[in-house]
Formats: sequence, structure tokens, C-alpha cells
Amino acid sequence: MILRYLSSILMLALLKYWTLCTLILSSCLLAIAQPDDPRQKHYSRNIRPIFRKHCTSCHNGEDNKAGINFEGYDFIVKVVRDGELFHQVINAVETGSMPPEIRPRMSQSEIDTLKFYINGYLEAALAEKDPGLISPRRLNNQEYKYAIQDLLGIELNVDSIFPSDPSGGAGFDNQARTLYVSPLLMERYFETADILLEELYQDKDRWRSIVPAYESGFGEAFRIWWHRIWHKQDISLQKPTKEAGEVLFPFATLAYRRFLTPEDKERLTTFFETVYRESQQEADPFDISIRETLKLILISHHFLYRQEADPDIEQAYPINNFELASRLSFFLWSSIPDQELLNVAYRENLHEERVLEREVERMLRDPRARRLGKQFAIQWLELKKLSDPAFQIDPDIYPEYTPQLRDFMLQEVETFFNYAMLETENFLDLIDSDYSFVNESLADLYGIPEVEGEEMQLMELTSDQRGGLLGMAGVLTATSLPTRTSPVLRGKWVLEQVLGTPAPPPPGDVPELEASHQEGEGETSLRKLLERHRADPACNSCHKAMDPIGLGLENFDGIGRWREAYGQEAIDPSGVLKSGEAFSGPGELRKILLTKQDLFAKNFSKKMLSFALGRDLQFKDTPTIDHLQQTLLDSEFDSIHFLMELVKSYPFRFKKSDNKDIG
Amino acid sequence: MQKSWHISRRRMLKGLGACIALPFLDAMSPTYLKANPYEIPAKRAAFLFAPNGVCPGKWAPNTVGTDFDLSPILKPLEGVKDQLLVLQQLMNKHSISKLDGHYTKTANFLTSMKIARTIGSNVNSGGVSIDQLIAQKTGKETIFPSLVYGIDRISSGVDANVGFTRLYGASISWKTATQPCAKEIDPRFAFDRLFRTVIPKKDARPENPWKKSILDVVSDDAKSLQRNLGIADQNKLAEYLESIRSVEKRLENKDKIKDFEAGISPSIKKDLQHLDIRIDEYVDMTAGLDITEKVRLMFDIMTLAFWSDASRVGTFMFGNSVSGRNFSFLEGVKRNFHSLSHHQNDERRMIQYEIINHWHMEQVAYFLNKLKSIPEGEGNLLDNSFVMFGSGLRDGNRHSPYNLPIILAGGAGGQLCGGQHIIYEENTPLANLYLTLGKMMGADMDQFADSTGELAGIRAY
Repeated sequence: MILRYLSSILMLALLKYWTLCTLILSSCLLAIAQPDDPRQKHYSRNIRPIFRKHCTSCHNGEDNKAGINFEGYDFIVKVVRDGELFHQVINAVETGSMPPEIRPRMSQSEIDTLKFYINGYLEAALAEKDPGLISPRRLNNQEYKYAIQDLLGIELNVDSIFPSDPSGGAGFDNQARTLYVSPLLMERYFETADILLEELYQDKDRWRSIVPAYESGFGEAFRIWWHRIWHKQDISLQKPTKEAGEVLFPFATLAYRRFLTPEDKERLTTFFETVYRESQQEADPFDISIRETLKLILISHHFLYRQEADPDIEQAYPINNFELASRLSFFLWSSIPDQELLNVAYRENLHEERVLEREVERMLRDPRARRLGKQFAIQWLELKKLSDPAFQIDPDIYPEYTPQLRDFMLQEVETFFNYAMLETENFLDLIDSDYSFVNESLADLYGIPEVEGEEMQLMELTSDQRGGLLGMAGVLTATSLPTRTSPVLRGKWVLEQVLGTPAPPPPGDVPELEASHQEGEGETSLRKLLERHRADPACNSCHKAMDPIGLGLENFDGIGRWREAYGQEAIDPSGVLKSGEAFSGPGELRKILLTKQDLFAKNFSKKMLSFALGRDLQFKDTPTIDHLQQTLLDSEFDSIHFLMELVKSYPFRFKKSDNKDIG
Repeated sequence: MQKSWHISRRRMLKGLGACIALPFLDAMSPTYLKANPYEIPAKRAAFLFAPNGVCPGKWAPNTVGTDFDLSPILKPLEGVKDQLLVLQQLMNKHSISKLDGHYTKTANFLTSMKIARTIGSNVNSGGVSIDQLIAQKTGKETIFPSLVYGIDRISSGVDANVGFTRLYGASISWKTATQPCAKEIDPRFAFDRLFRTVIPKKDARPENPWKKSILDVVSDDAKSLQRNLGIADQNKLAEYLESIRSVEKRLENKDKIKDFEAGISPSIKKDLQHLDIRIDEYVDMTAGLDITEKVRLMFDIMTLAFWSDASRVGTFMFGNSVSGRNFSFLEGVKRNFHSLSHHQNDERRMIQYEIINHWHMEQVAYFLNKLKSIPEGEGNLLDNSFVMFGSGLRDGNRHSPYNLPIILAGGAGGQLCGGQHIIYEENTPLANLYLTLGKMMGADMDQFADSTGELAGIRAY
């Protein structure tokens, strides 16, 4: 015992010393990737062969067991890139769960060697702070919509205009690498700008609120004409140009989310003047020229793209104030910064904690912060699928389910999330709560009497049937099949979206589990069927985790209504989780989930961070994730405190330039 | 016969019927070409994809060769049987994945390459898809290089379970390996995009006279910035610039547009007007929910695009992979497509699976018959086109990527020798078909992905 203790101390000391060495080594950055790096040589000669010997026979490109392929890890950088996986690998090797029993065991010295060196690589990598690359990206459809709304006060139905955005990273549609621009989209951008400005221009009152009436100077038209004809030069544009600047520059500043450069101004002015000169025969050349220049602003990449400066610096550096303002507004508002935030970015230092906190507080009080409910919560919970026309609940089985009811279901989740975040300021409400939001239609569905009107109303929950997200019709419907409930899907959803512990994928050639469910047997036999299924050891390890959770929610039907029985047969919602806790029904199930705070905190931190950064998370983000998780746990899930820590975090405020040589 | 053809002699004899010289082959003789250089109709290509495979035992015809009976699923194609090729034992090698049942078999349906497993940071389909490769060639001739159609939005989210972004399940057309083409799913938008100048909308405004100047200014601006960016950033900006350029090109090419508009004959115009009204009715009467009508409208638009020469290449997706579309609107179907495709050899489920497959073929037949109904040159539009239909897996129950359900129809300008059921050697690359089709469309290629040579027995000459 003592010996083991000593050896582990020795190991630690060695590790520290070694980490120090690698730190020095890695200070000459490229050394990591070079094959002649002694560390790399050692890896190729001594470490990689251990994987080859024990792991590659199953985890290779062909078999790809559990989606893992050890063949590609020829360089330490690649190991580090998938650091989380290798962390698990070490864990599995140490606990003996891998290699599986049917394969030859690893020797203790092999295990020790792997553990020592792999952990060493990972720690060395984490010791070097890395905020990651932030690729430029176009505004996604919703951000475009909100930006237009905040600029022009017009609400667009973007879903019908633009091709839908793909998702990436932790499942959000704001991830840089999956936001493409196509000719089709470009056409729509132009048409939309065209229509928007045309409409605004027709609405004279609103137009005048943006563009003050222009009084052309005496004889101006004549002078312009005179000079064009006789001197081929333009004078007399000073007055209109100056007044145009007063409209165009503030607008472009907001749209571009930064102060304009002289080049920006010149470009806009030149274009304005061109149109102005050519439109002299029109009744209102000034307004027309402004209108066309505003269109230009709306299809400029300065507006359509979020692009941060990319100076030729090798180390990480803090992003500039305007960039930070944009990161804040796109995170909290899904839109452009307002004038006040830009002013702060200009006058003060947003990186300063006091300033940053003050601004975030102000932004969270603004109604625009409620967009987080739609943009973050709905996507995180995979509820966007409800509004996908291809997801059709069977109208014969659930005639009550209408597009309107679906919208209310989504509203409940959004309103609830915003309330937990901004009012009770407690994210733990998401797991279990004694309140929710309903209107008349939802109350009917839930069997709550005396609620009237379409407005969502705060409702105290008196029984323990519902509470938190797991009692919401939106969640319960999105995790069902069009014709009935699916305990597996619900269990899977809790594991993935709430706890962040997805089950490994089923083997590719195994049929969808519930397909083996026989037609006509009804829902009655689901539990029995799943039990039969779990008797198969190949299925048991994962389904043991998913099924009990889903079966515990069987009191809710395919659109989230409470039920006690399938027809004649009573529903048994009790169960035992894979981790051993027993429960008698959904209320107790939620209470057990409440005890899994560390998992929920970690998963929530990851999701929110990925959303805030617009990229997928990597191993180097581990310290930030750990910090955010700890913040939640220490503060009992204080939402405001969490958001503050997130925007203060290193990857949110820093970036690295894209290496121009290597790409 | 080329040596590289991967087809055994026995199979050849079993599958290939004699290719009788067809009347229009005469029309292709050099003298004809010389005499009427403009009379040869252009060739058109369409690639149709359906998710979730086909019901086993119901797809393949029982007999091979030219004298084959249509299987239950293929029954709707009776009217075009003489121009139909049922091609068996083709497979997409890079679709084989023990990990995933769908994404790896969809995104590469037309690229035949291995896709990168990613939740979004490095989306890669392995290569340019065959339709886009053809469009690079034929696109120069038309206003729109290609049409990319479907009926479903891209499914949102990532599939955490298998580690793929759902984008992969919604994209078969790839402009480059890293850039999927945007898919049009709205009949109204798709129609207006092509035919707005011919059939103006009621509230139509004239084209903005400043459009070109605006595009010039923003692209100059972006170009000046591009020099100072990292590689990845440059790529993103290049997408923007390219998109602007393609819009600009359409503006600049006044002659081509004039040609296009001049080519709209009174009969095309009549059909366009008719379709315009039908799209309005569709939106008004079914709120856009009738899937059969939506599919047919998209096919009608594609037909008219081919006919009017707005474009010569098109793709169409009947659904995203893992599509859980509820088909209970069909008599006898009670469940959604994906669930039913996992039939577990249960007779009751297989019947429903088959009904859904059958519905797909009815829509394909609608498209083919539509093309056939339009006279062009010496024959009809179908004679000058080919339409390929397929799924990325055979039996949905097993996610099997072998022996894919693939059919090809049409004449491809007299190049295809239809009316055959051919069984190739096992695991013949699907890419061989794409190589053949690419060459038929005039694309300059000797190899496509894992192709080993052209597909034997389908070329008329």
C-alpha cells in the first residue's frame, strides 16, 4: 500500500518535471508536429505500438468498433486533438474494461506506460492556453432576421425565404463551419434587401423616420447638369453627400457592428453620388440614392459576415472591443449590438470586468435577451424538429395535435427557460420545478382547469406529475414517434440532451429496436418487449441506461397528455436506473436526476459554450468547461453568475489567428 | 469490349439483350449533324434519391434481359418500360460503415467517396458529386448550371449518437467536397427563380437597375479584404465572392437570357402559366401539406426547366435520410417511413414498406411520363434525357449498402439502350455508372471515384 502511494507520488513528480520539459519544448510551437521531436519519436516507437498490439484489431478503419479507429493517430497532436477520447481510453484501460475479456490482457507495465505518457501529452496540451480559431461566418437565418428587425423594425419570415441552415458543433445552427453561402442564398439576400427597402420607401412615414427630407439647394439640379455637360466633373454634391452621410454612416455603423473606416465611408459616398447623379430626372433623387445605398449595406459582407480581424500574430490575443461587443450581442440577443453597446466599445474597455458585467446585466434586462429561449433552448433540446414539416404527428391517432398547439408547446419551453434564466435565476429549475407556463389550450391538454386565453401564464404546479422540462408536452412529443410513445427515444434524449452521456451508437447492422415491436400489440407490451430485448447482452449495456428512464415517463402519451393506463391495463412507471437508484414514477425520477447535478452542469456548460462561441468544442476547451461546470455547482446553478463567467472566459474573449501558411 | 469492365461473361449473356439499332441513331449520322447543326436537342440529366431503401423481394424483376416483368414496386413504370434499365448489384464502396446506417450512405450517394465523420467542423463529402461535375460542363450553356431540389428542410441538430451532422443526411449535391449545394424545397420560389421574367408575378417589379453596380461595389470591397486573411477565412469569403459572381453572370449574359426567353415557345408558355396557377392552388388549398402534389410540382418545374433549357442537370431528394415522414395518408400504411423500413421481416410491416416504395415509383413514373409527353426534335424530351433513381441502401432493415436499388430511364439522346434488367457482377462500383453517365453528358473524365471502367451493356453505341 505504502509502496503504491510512494510510487504514485514519484509518478506525479516525474510527470510535473516532464510537463515542464515539454512546456519548454513546446514553446517552439511547431516542434510538436515535427517527426524529429524526441517526444514524437518516443511516441512512435514506444507508445503507438501498444495501441497497435491491443486495440487496432477491433478499432480500425474497417471495423471501427464504437466509432473509434486507432489507426490515424500517428502524431501526438492528433492524440491531443481527441484528448477527451484518450482520457476515456486511459480510464477504460485502467479499470480493465478494455481490452475486452476475450482479448489478451494488457500487462501492468503497458498500462502504466500508456497512462503516464498519454496523460502527460494531455496535461502538457492543457497547460498551454488556447482559445481556438474563430472562423468568419455569415449570419444564420435567425440572426439575419433579428438584425433586420433591430435595424429596420421589420419582421421577416426567414424560414420561407432562405434555405435552412445546417447545424454543427453541439447541435446549433450558428456554427461557423457549417454556414455556407450559395448563389441561391445570395440571390435571396439581394431580393430581400430590395423588397425591404422598397417597402420602407413606400411607407412614407416610416421612411421619413429614417431618412430626413432633403431640400435640394437652389438651382442644384441645373448646376450638376451644367458641370456634367461642360466640364465632365461633378461639383455641388457636397450638400447631398454630407446629408446622406448623416443617414448612411450611423446605419452602416450599426450594420457593420464597428466604426467605419475612411474606405468604408468613401465607398458608400461614391456609390451614393453615382446613383444621385444618374437619378436627377427622378422626383426624389436623394431618397432613391439613399435607398440603393442601404441595399448595398445589407448585402455587403461587412453586414452578412461576422468576421474578426486576423492579424499576423502567432500567440493568442484578446479580440478588439467591437468584436467583443458583437460576440456578446450575437450570444445574448442573436443580433447586432445596439448603439449603446457600440458606444461603450468605443469609449471604454469591454474587457474590463466592471464594464463587461455592467453591459451584460443591461443586455439581459433587455427584451432581446428572451431570444435565447428560442435560439439556445429550443435547439439544445432538439425541439426544432417539432416545427419541421417532415415531422408529422399522426392526425388520426392524435387529432388534438394542431400546428397551433405545437407552437404553444414550444412557447412553454421558451418562456419557461427564459423565466428560469432571468427571473428565478436558477438553471436547476430545468430539471425539476414547481411551476410552468400554460395557456388555455395547453391547460386543456394537461388537465389543468380554469386557464383562459392564448397568453402564456405562470402556473404553480400542485401535483408531482409535471415539473421541469421532462413534464413539458413539447419535449414529450418530440421524443415520441408519430403514432405512439417511444421509451427508448425518451431515455436517449435524457441521456444526450440533459446528462450529456450519450449511449454509444447501436451496431450498424442491428435493426431499430422498437421495430421488433409487433403491429397490433399496442403499447401495452412495450415494457415486456424492452425486457426481452435487454436479455440480449449486446443490447443490454446501453438499453439498461435508456429504457428505465423512458418507461418512467410512460404516464405521458405521444403528445404529452397524462394517462394512468393503456386502455385497460395500468401503466407501471416504476423502475431502477442503471446507476442503481429506484423510483416509483416521473416525480421521483426527476428527483434522482436532480442528484446528477455534476453531469447536468457539465453538459449544460458545454452546450452553452459551443453556442456562445459558434464552434464545436475541443479538448483544449476542457479547462473552460471545467470552470463553468464548477461555477454552476458552487453557485447552485445561479444563471446570471454562470453567464457572467462564460463571457469572461478565455475562449470567449480571446482568439488565435488562422495560420496562413499551414491553413 | 474493354478489359476493365467488371462483368462476367455469364452475367453478360444473361442480362444483355440485343441492342437493335433505333431509328434515331440514323439521325445522329455525321451528315445529319452537318446539315442541321442546331437541331440536335441538348441532353439532360436528372438524379433522384429516396431515403430508407426498398422492401426486399419486391424490387427486382424476376427475369433478366430484355424480356423482364416489372416487379411490384416498379409496376408504375410500365408506360416507359422500353426505356427503363434496372441495374442490379451496384454498390457504393465508401458507404460501408459499421457505425452508421444512413449519413454515410446519403451524402456520398453521388460522390462515391468516403465522407468525413464530423459534427460540423470539417464537413467533407470526399469529392464533387456527379451532377455538379456534369454541370461544370453543361452549365455554361444555360442560365442555371444545375437545379438542386427536394421537399424537406435540412434536419436540424447533430446526431450525437453516431457523430454526424444531419446536414449529411440532407445533401447529395456537392459543388466541392466541402461545399454542399443549397437545396430548393419550395415550388413557388423554385418556379419564380427560373421563370419570373417569362411569367411575371402579379406584383412584379422591374429588375433593379442598380443591381449590377451594387454587386460590383460589394465584391470589390470583399476582394480587397481577402488578401489579408487566413486560408480557412479566405475560403469562406471565396464562397461569398463566387456567389456574387454567379448572380452577376446572369445579369451580364443578356444574350443568353434573350435566347432563353426567345426559346420559350407558345406551348412552353402555356404550360408555364398552367403550372403557375397550380402552384398557387397548392399553397391555397393544402397549405403546402400535400406531399404527393408537392413532389409532382417540383418534377413539373424540372421538366419545364429542361424543356425551356433553363438548365440541363437536376437532382431531387424525396426526403432526408432517416426520414420519419408519416405515410399514413396512403391506404394501408399506419406508420412512418423509417420505422417501417426496419420491418424485421414482419409481413405486416413489409406490406406497408412496399406501399411507400410503390408511391415513390408512382412519382418517378409521373416525372418520366411528363418528360415523354413533350415532343422535342425527332422524339420527345425523355428521349433526350436520362433519369436515374436510387437509394443509398438496399434493405432498410439491415442498412445494407450492397446491391443498391438503382434504375435508369430515358434515351440520353439515343445513347441508352433501355428495356433491360441487368445483373452485374457482385459489388460492381456504382461509380462505373456515374462515369458512363458523365461521359454521355460530355463531361471530360476517365475516372470517377472508385470507378473501374464504364458500365457494360447500357450504351446504345
